[in-house]
Amino acid sequence: MIMEKHDGFMKALKCRECGREYPLAATHVCEFDFGPLEVAYDYDRIKKSLTRAAIESRPQTMWRYRELLPIAGAPTVGCQVGFTPLVKADRLAKRLGIRELWVKNDAVNYPTLSFKDRVVSVALSRSKELGFKTVACASTGNLANSVAANAAAAGLKSFVFIPSDLEQGKVINSLVYGANVISIKGHYDEVNRLCAEIAGKFGWAFVNVNMRPYYAEGSKSMGFEILEQLGWRIPQHTVVPMASGSLLTKIHKSYQEFVKIGLVRDAKYHVHGAQPTGCNPISAAQKAGLDFFKPVKPNTIAKSLAIGTPADGFYALKVMKETGASAEDVTDDEVREGIRLLAECEGIFAETAGGVTVGVAKKLIASGRIPANDSVVLCVTGNGLKTLDAVAGHVGRTRDIKPSLREFEALINSEAELAAAI
Amino acid sequence: MATARKKKKPATKNGVQATRLWLMYPPRLIKRPVVWELSHQFKVVTNVRQVSVTDEIGVVCLELDGERSEIKAAIKWLEKLGVKVEPVEFNVIES
Ligand SMILES: Cc1ncc(COP(=O)(O)O)c(C=O)c1O
Ligand SMILES: [Zn+2]
Repeated sequence: MIMEKHDGFMKALKCRECGREYPLAATHVCEFDFGPLEVAYDYDRIKKSLTRAAIESRPQTMWRYRELLPIAGAPTVGCQVGFTPLVKADRLAKRLGIRELWVKNDAVNYPTLSFKDRVVSVALSRSKELGFKTVACASTGNLANSVAANAAAAGLKSFVFIPSDLEQGKVINSLVYGANVISIKGHYDEVNRLCAEIAGKFGWAFVNVNMRPYYAEGSKSMGFEILEQLGWRIPQHTVVPMASGSLLTKIHKSYQEFVKIGLVRDAKYHVHGAQPTGCNPISAAQKAGLDFFKPVKPNTIAKSLAIGTPADGFYALKVMKETGASAEDVTDDEVREGIRLLAECEGIFAETAGGVTVGVAKKLIASGRIPANDSVVLCVTGNGLKTLDAVAGHVGRTRDIKPSLREFEALINSEAELAAAI
Repeated sequence: MATARKKKKPATKNGVQATRLWLMYPPRLIKRPVVWELSHQFKVVTNVRQVSVTDEIGVVCLELDGERSEIKAAIKWLEKLGVKVEPVEFNVIES
């Protein structure tokens, strides 16, 4: 059928609440119950096309799994994104007291140093297929940077909406690409509702609104890569940072899809969620045994996870329940400690969300919720250079001397720690 | 199939538009007929699409039809009452 060919391996958009199906357009909510729409695929056809051999013969980017990503043709935006290193973290494993530990390092994702390049390249590739010329997002950081950069490279016009109190560094990281950055003054909720209204009113591809069903699927590529890089197997535990909760649900979906099409053997696994204590609606609900969350007012240094009413909170809780997983949260000090642990043990400088993930993993291991003999993958999703302010003043100090060898020798003799280093 | 050019917009007729919201109530408001009060105080048509109520929280998914100014006033009233009002997408702003 021509229609089928035109849609690639996608079948329809499907409501997560009632299962009603919709055409593969730029829409995101069910007309009946306003439930979110999700992309449904033709797994029988995918199974025939997406074999281990086929994947291994393709370039090392997230697009080597393209049958399971929601575009009809070849990718046109972000063709180099993904396939970030999966690092065997033996030194950190020892510190945390776990047998097998891996770090999936999206701090070095291309081009804007966070996992958001995955979702954005999918959203923009699909936007071009649907004929859009202008793309947009509302963001306080990583997403804005990624939309601005990827849109620039693809020759698309972009609008980026930000709250007016955003730090200058984050604004520059979007402005430099020539994006139209609109700063909105007002209470967070007001700004949020206005952005929803703008998304509904203008005929743009708003990546995390009308393009959300496609956009969110991009996160699956992080999970696919983990499974392939582990040698086609599922880790017993995966620890995932949660803001909206979308990434966690998509890591789970990616594992299920690889099982479904026969690329990995089915095995028991747990997808744990990590949040900062200053914004923990999902982990608080999980710990209380609830299947819904209560909204919170964020107050944390982990700004990239500061979403008080998470859109995928319900679904993230469901995944943790289904996989027998736990959620945990960590204080600002524990976030900084997590950042330092990862940097000192593995040479990886993660942003605050990475500190949250490491801190939560530490807690889960210490409490036995992740048993010491198991295998664990930590999802590190963004780069520390973006959140320098969060750790400034907490990462040790410089020793200052005059240009004199005597002073240097005196310094070394006065500090055991320095003496030990020579 | 709808594309960028033939995009479906939310129902709008001469300045009247449908707004889709989630209302999240604290326990003290769960027994109060908030949606009924709202439709009597403001010139808006309410259409409930999903409800879930527990001892801890009440969540209602609602479509409001009416003049933009009426809808804005209705939202202000809800917030003053202590109801959290989110667009149907919840967090449009992400990191
Ligand atoms: C660095 C980083 N990690 C994790 C997340 C969590 O993503 P999600 O909203 O899918 O839960 C975000 C979201 O913005 C992020 O920027
Ligand atoms: Zn539905």
